[in-house]
Amino acid sequence: MRLHSGAWWLWALGLATAASRTTNPLMLGLILAVAGVVVVTCRATTPWAGTYGVFLKFGLLVIALRVLLHVFLGGVAGPTTLFTLPQAPLPHWAQGIRIGGPVTAEGLVFALYQGLLLATILSCVGAANALANPKRLLRSLPAALYEVSVAVVVALTVAPQLVASARSVRRARQLRGDTARGARAIRTMLVPVLEDALERSLVLAASMDSRGYGRTAGISKRDRVLTGALVLAGLFGFCIGMYGLLADAYSGWPLLVVGAVLAIAGLRVGARRVPRTRYRPDRWTVKAAGVALSGIAGAVVLVFSGDPALSPTTVPLQAPEFPVLPALAVLVALLPVVIVREA
Amino acid sequence: MIAIGRRSAVALAVSGVIGLAAFTWPLFVAPSSDIAHAGDAPWTFALLLPLVLAVVLAELSERGMDSKAIAMLGVLSALGAAIRPLGAGTAGVETIFFLMVLSGRVFGPGFGFVLGNTTLFASALLTGGVGPWLPYQMLGAAWVALGAGLLPQWRGKAEIALLALYGVVSSLAYGFLLNLSFWPFAVGEGTSVSFDPNASAGTNLLRLLAFTLATSLGWDLGRAVTTALLVVVTGPVLLRTLRRASRKASFTSAQIIDGK
Repeated sequence: MRLHSGAWWLWALGLATAASRTTNPLMLGLILAVAGVVVVTCRATTPWAGTYGVFLKFGLLVIALRVLLHVFLGGVAGPTTLFTLPQAPLPHWAQGIRIGGPVTAEGLVFALYQGLLLATILSCVGAANALANPKRLLRSLPAALYEVSVAVVVALTVAPQLVASARSVRRARQLRGDTARGARAIRTMLVPVLEDALERSLVLAASMDSRGYGRTAGISKRDRVLTGALVLAGLFGFCIGMYGLLADAYSGWPLLVVGAVLAIAGLRVGARRVPRTRYRPDRWTVKAAGVALSGIAGAVVLVFSGDPALSPTTVPLQAPEFPVLPALAVLVALLPVVIVREA
Repeated sequence: MIAIGRRSAVALAVSGVIGLAAFTWPLFVAPSSDIAHAGDAPWTFALLLPLVLAVVLAELSERGMDSKAIAMLGVLSALGAAIRPLGAGTAGVETIFFLMVLSGRVFGPGFGFVLGNTTLFASALLTGGVGPWLPYQMLGAAWVALGAGLLPQWRGKAEIALLALYGVVSSLAYGFLLNLSFWPFAVGEGTSVSFDPNASAGTNLLRLLAFTLATSLGWDLGRAVTTALLVVVTGPVLLRTLRRASRKASFTSAQIIDGK
């Protein structure tokens, strides 16, 4: 069964948002476990299904980086000093940057919590990468980006052919007894491969032309002006909204939303120049909606829940408590296991 | 190959301002702002930037992206995506930039902007590396390739020297800007090199420099050196090859058929 790729991304973004709202290691562990279970049971045997492991390793690296930064570059002060590193003297203009110094248990726990938070978010993104088919995701790009998405499709198809091309060039070189290495090898390999690729692109362009690709149905002048006005107004809306948000001069969110609506409307109107139908389009079925909503549920509950157990204090150190209601909301994200199994 | 009209130029400029704000927000965000804390800003921009990129790319392709430009974009992005994993993991060897600099130079700024986007997007799709960092990388790479198309039109050895120098400067700037955008998120609070929303821009810049020195400077320098070396080694041949291809591709049959 094929679910809409966007469903998996919404599910994962929901979980990631939920994770970003808590530093409680119990909650973060729960989110990690939920994402892991869904990935293991729902992923198909695809080349990109293995990326989840890479993201998990990356997460471990992030935790290590955070802890090391805290140990060597100072951190949260607390009453429990574990050990003291020799402190390097820095000039006055270093503005409070310090190397070495006391390492506290509170600081270490704080760094671990923060690192775990980032690792959990990474694992959610990795889950989306492993579950959603990237080539189907490409089909969900707006129609106004038709040309660009065709270029990406060409890139995805040509990339494996380039490897074959490189292999044949190398064999041809070896047959001629050419065993150049280093910088010369780059030139003797790269140029034939590039020539081959460019030649291929011209052949491809000719055959695309003859099949009617790249042709646009002329768009009326009114629509063109409308597209331009909507798009530029949207972009300016973003600008003003962002200024408001960053300078805190006024609330930028409404302007950002207005800008987004205008920009999307501009993309919609602009898409009139490419009246194309899609072969077997991905549809938003009830199951896809169920998957997306199950992930978003946790995010909604955690964003609006004021449970103090979500962010346990580290100074003074406390054992984290288990927030029951947010945990139940996160468990809803396990629904895809049932939804995908049924099919 | 991809012309930049007046409207696309405005869209590019405005998107440039938005992009610059998305990269450099830690330096001038007001301490009382909603998104100054808790690492919300990178997420907000990671959702906003794809829409901005989509709008600008749609504007650029609105007039005239013929099948030859599309095929050339596809093949060059494939080449970039194919040679990118060669350097990944080995300290800072980044094999993707020189190709974008050279292509942007030959095919012009508009083509370069689209190429930077498609190369990184295709690469992320091929390796399963789609994440909140992708829009930032796409925008950064697009600017690098666009800038290469705007350099003065020198020829010969001066051109190679210019492109190599540009490669060094642009890869360092790219690394610095990407660091800047994700630094508050990557380090978190509490260390003495963390982003502090209450501190002045100068203090934050100093802390960022310390963070860069402690973590990613090796990678950034590696990227700059690799790009410059590859431009010098392969530049003369590749520029010739790409220019030949661009001449070959500049036949126009569509105009005769349409009778315009």
